[in-house]
Amino acid sequence: MKELVSILDGNTFLVSDRRGDIEPSHDRPTGLFSFDTRFLSTWLLTVDGDRLHALSIDDSESYRTRFFLAPGEPTHYLDARVSVLRTRTIGGSFDEQLTVLNHAKEEAEFIVRVEMGADFADIFEIKAVLRKKGRTEATVEPNTLRLTYRREHFHREATISSSAAAEVDEAGMTFRVRIPPHGEWTTRLHVATLIFGARGEDFRATTPLGGTRSVGSIQVEQDELISRAPKLGCDCEPLATAYNRSLRDLASLRYESITFGSRLLAAGLPWFMTLFGRDSIFTALQVLPFLPDLVRPTINLLAGLQGTRLDDFRDEEPGKILHELRYGETAGFEEQPHSPYYGSADSTPLFVILVDEYERWTGDVQLIVALEDHVRKALDWVDTYGDLLGTGYIWYETRNPDTGLPNQCWKDSLDSISFRDGALPAFPRATCEMQGYAYDAKLRAARMARKFWNDPAYADRLEREAAELKERFNRDFWLPEREYYALALDPEGRPVDALTSNIGHLLWSGIVDPERAGRIAGHLLGPDLFSGWGVRTMAEGQGRYNPIGYHVGTVWPFDNSIIAWGLWRYGLRDEAGRVCRAMIEAAKYFGGRLPEAFAGYDRSLTDYPVEYPTACSPQAWSAGTPLLMLRVLLGLEPQGEHLIIDPLVPPGMGRIELLDIPGRWGRVDALGRSRDETS
Amino acid sequence: MTEATERFFASLPSRAPVALRNSVLLRPVLTGTLQIDLVEGPTTDHWRVAMAPGQAEVTRADGEADARWTSNPRLFDRLVTGETQALAAVLRNEATLSGNVLLWLMFRRFFPDPPGTRDPRQRARERNGRPR
Repeated sequence: MKELVSILDGNTFLVSDRRGDIEPSHDRPTGLFSFDTRFLSTWLLTVDGDRLHALSIDDSESYRTRFFLAPGEPTHYLDARVSVLRTRTIGGSFDEQLTVLNHAKEEAEFIVRVEMGADFADIFEIKAVLRKKGRTEATVEPNTLRLTYRREHFHREATISSSAAAEVDEAGMTFRVRIPPHGEWTTRLHVATLIFGARGEDFRATTPLGGTRSVGSIQVEQDELISRAPKLGCDCEPLATAYNRSLRDLASLRYESITFGSRLLAAGLPWFMTLFGRDSIFTALQVLPFLPDLVRPTINLLAGLQGTRLDDFRDEEPGKILHELRYGETAGFEEQPHSPYYGSADSTPLFVILVDEYERWTGDVQLIVALEDHVRKALDWVDTYGDLLGTGYIWYETRNPDTGLPNQCWKDSLDSISFRDGALPAFPRATCEMQGYAYDAKLRAARMARKFWNDPAYADRLEREAAELKERFNRDFWLPEREYYALALDPEGRPVDALTSNIGHLLWSGIVDPERAGRIAGHLLGPDLFSGWGVRTMAEGQGRYNPIGYHVGTVWPFDNSIIAWGLWRYGLRDEAGRVCRAMIEAAKYFGGRLPEAFAGYDRSLTDYPVEYPTACSPQAWSAGTPLLMLRVLLGLEPQGEHLIIDPLVPPGMGRIELLDIPGRWGRVDALGRSRDETS
Repeated sequence: MTEATERFFASLPSRAPVALRNSVLLRPVLTGTLQIDLVEGPTTDHWRVAMAPGQAEVTRADGEADARWTSNPRLFDRLVTGETQALAAVLRNEATLSGNVLLWLMFRRFFPDPPGTRDPRQRARERNGRPR
């Protein structure tokens, strides 16, 4: 059973326990957060001094939860004379309607109390407990409690107001209520989260799109976004559920950048409610055939924030695409490097890939032309700063030993890159998938150079470089005795020989020698990597393999979607279908919402996929997974002004029908059916 | 107002061909006026930078602008010497940015590296015994 309950709208979100309460926590991100600041760290309801417990919870909408509560312990509620309804919504601000119901035949008096507090912790201060450097104050006003935090010019405020008369003190509000027989009492609590700018007004008041939205407008906006997506009809119920859940989650993860006034996608609840270069690029690639409108603002902002200088603290270099952008106190005071931080070595080639893929679907030539300089700078980065050792590969090594990221690939935890025996290589490291991305980026940029930038000489050069890279890579990374590509090279040029899912990304990029693709697929779907629910991040039998290790054994849905896409690219359709089918079956156990990751236990060992303890959910690129898998199953691929549809639906999945797929062709329909069925 | 800031603005026209190098098709993004207001007590220094692809023209006047940066002159000094970073200053509310943010993002290209920054390739290659 799920312990925590979350609601979100963009990067404003609230995480509470199952009663709807928030208690101060330094290890879990519970509370009300907006723009990386915790505006409520205490929110605790009692009736006559008793805590409540949940009879049931309705959390079917991403921005609204309804708790049905009764006082006391679960065993005592049968003859409850009172119950409480707690309905909360989020949309820039946070609103909670509290209704106390008197079930007795007599009038009754209750003391309803809500404890309230804000520690204004930065999201980075939740894991590592730090003393706040500024000052927090509570101000009592009629029916209002104002909690403020100031550090120099940095000023945040949570203003809590009640519609019913309240006795307000610095730690909360008390309501002494008298309720007639079978009657009820209600108050509406409103929590405004204010981020003050220079002139003492809320920052968001001066941005083009405004900050606070009503629940009605969230609903309308989400519905409108979803109505523009293709309609799915299929026999496979888990696929239909996952598709619809994903569209809703993607809609709810959209947020507005305060600084840039554009709508972006946050990466994942609760730790990653902000813009990530890599995550947003992969998500954009996944959703392009479905929600192309989401993609352009992401491309624009990544281009606008492309690195301009050398900055060791931020691992920034000219031409590099950002890793992570945060809005909180620690980023502002340069205690953390996220303003933005550039510590990823793959987001730059991935950016080039996305720009090309975007044009191939949408035909938006204007953007491609406008981005020429940015794409050239990105490719220059690949060949200059990206190639730290001058060997023709992308390498990474942070220059910020205190707060930088040691591993700057998608598997960015500390122990993700290792030899088979578990030993960790020295830095800098060149992981294999980044070389694949660089290869694909060069070929795609060559197409753009020839077609849109009128520079055939540049296109020739890029194609020559890509061919040389492919040859070099297939020589230096291939492990002949094991028949797969090394995970990375260490600074001596030695192959880091663990067997990992990274080889699947190589298929997607096209850098794999076609004669070797079958062997790679054999590993991906072999017993060491394939759990039955999906491809593990690291194969069983490797020194550091752990089925519940973040990047060393768990199964990542996003990773699997890219692997399936890669298998498709090499014509390995049955294998791609197996990966898709396993993932869709897993989705069934998560109510259609694929988490960030789940455990890598063998399917024969557990009858269901085991949730990874601290996985983020919803997570953008997990939500994008069912979409990309639909593309793979239906064999969708733009070619010129047309969309190729070449379905191969795995046995048992029946009919898949995707209507109104948007693109440069207008809208087209795709239909696929399992081979085992006749119509 | 300090010498570092004056020198910085004086250098913009000659640096613009590289920093604002772009195809004419980017004209709508790159073209516009950015005004920098440096406020110290009752005095405000105005610097207007008219930007276009490959060009930057600097004047001292107050007027309508497509984008506007407001901060104290000491902060701006630290930006033009590379000691702090512009977006962090906005996040901690030490500076305010309004109008066309893209114009400002382009302008960032004029700010230098932090003092003493070395080419990361040189560092990595020296340590790993690779020449160059």
